Amino acid sequence: MSEKIAQLPLIEYEDADPLTKKIYDDAEKRFQMVLNIFKVTGHAPEMAEKMWNIFFEILSEGDPETGVDWYTKELLILKSTKMGECLYCVTQHEVVAERLGVTPEKQFDIVGQLYKDSPHYDEKEVAILDLCSHICLDPEQIPAEVWQKVKEYYNDGQIVEIVATVGAYIQVSKFGDAMGVQLEDAFTGHEPRLFTKEPPKSKAAAGHLEHFISRTG
Amino acid sequence: MTAVALVENPTNEDVRNAYKLAEKHFGHVPNLVKALGSNPAMCKTLTEFVVLFLDEGKVSWKFKELVILKTLRSIKSFFSYSAHEALAIELGNSVSKVGSVANSLWQLNPEYTDGERAVFELVDQVALDANAVGDEIWDKLRAHWSSAQLVELDALITTFILIGRLGDTLGIPEPVVFKRSVA
Repeated sequence: MSEKIAQLPLIEYEDADPLTKKIYDDAEKRFQMVLNIFKVTGHAPEMAEKMWNIFFEILSEGDPETGVDWYTKELLILKSTKMGECLYCVTQHEVVAERLGVTPEKQFDIVGQLYKDSPHYDEKEVAILDLCSHICLDPEQIPAEVWQKVKEYYNDGQIVEIVATVGAYIQVSKFGDAMGVQLEDAFTGHEPRLFTKEPPKSKAAAGHLEHFISRTG
Repeated sequence: MTAVALVENPTNEDVRNAYKLAEKHFGHVPNLVKALGSNPAMCKTLTEFVVLFLDEGKVSWKFKELVILKTLRSIKSFFSYSAHEALAIELGNSVSKVGSVANSLWQLNPEYTDGERAVFELVDQVALDANAVGDEIWDKLRAHWSSAQLVELDALITTFILIGRLGDTLGIPEPVVFKRSVA
């Protein structure tokens, strides 16, 4: 069992510069708390402001004409962060997705290829989860049939939002995991779903999961 | 074919502003920005974010270009690789230093400092399994870089994993990133 170690100090509100305080205020309005991953970016406020703007856009209802609804984006976030074995993101988004109506049963079936035959997923969702899986593994290998299905259901603006959401969550997962950003105490007691269904293959990720479960007692 | 059409003449204000920013920064509107043009929110926020890295920051742009090349190689992305090679050289890196990104010789090339080598180790490990970036790498990183620089470097690496994935997935050719002189 290996505890995740925060590799850089977190910048708390009282020590933050004015721009970082503004970012924290915005984050708190959105998430009811300032997540640890925001606090690590307090070291680089200008960069943090632009980076978090992307996530504030993703974590909202997209434009009905050119975007994708938040519920659908949560499916992409769960799938991409599970494939990236990011305990921090998966745990948080299991909670967010449930709040938005993604039932635990539906969440369990996002693992591996279960979604393809699951009664909880429709064809539109299967199409973009297939795309998401290939983006995570190797974009060069996306089969033409996957593109064909995606294009059947989504316009260009929506495809941009789908691909950007997957890419952004690959980015933020790796960003936080590399820094050893720890899950906030508020998530203690949450029973991991996706990693219970399919444990992490990475030894390091498995160690972090074991430690998180032990924290829960 | 590209997965989405490139938007040449946007009518949406956010997209037009993103193009203006790109034009000013890059000397033209890169194809990736045009590919994002059909989604105003993503076009605006991603363009504003990425231009920050392609400039002087808490870490020199000259070294950041080497980190970008190393990152693209580590995830086997060809997106904009040769354009960033040209940029790295224009910003003052030697051909030998740029060439060492492609093989393991950055570990031996005396033009690389220990701090730079530590960043390349971070790139390799983040690309492979970010969960497994251990204390050994962080001890080396902290010995050479400030916390602000390390946040910028981690963000740079992971952002170019995002950019590589985006460019490859959407099938965007980007032979030239900058059409203005950066030297």
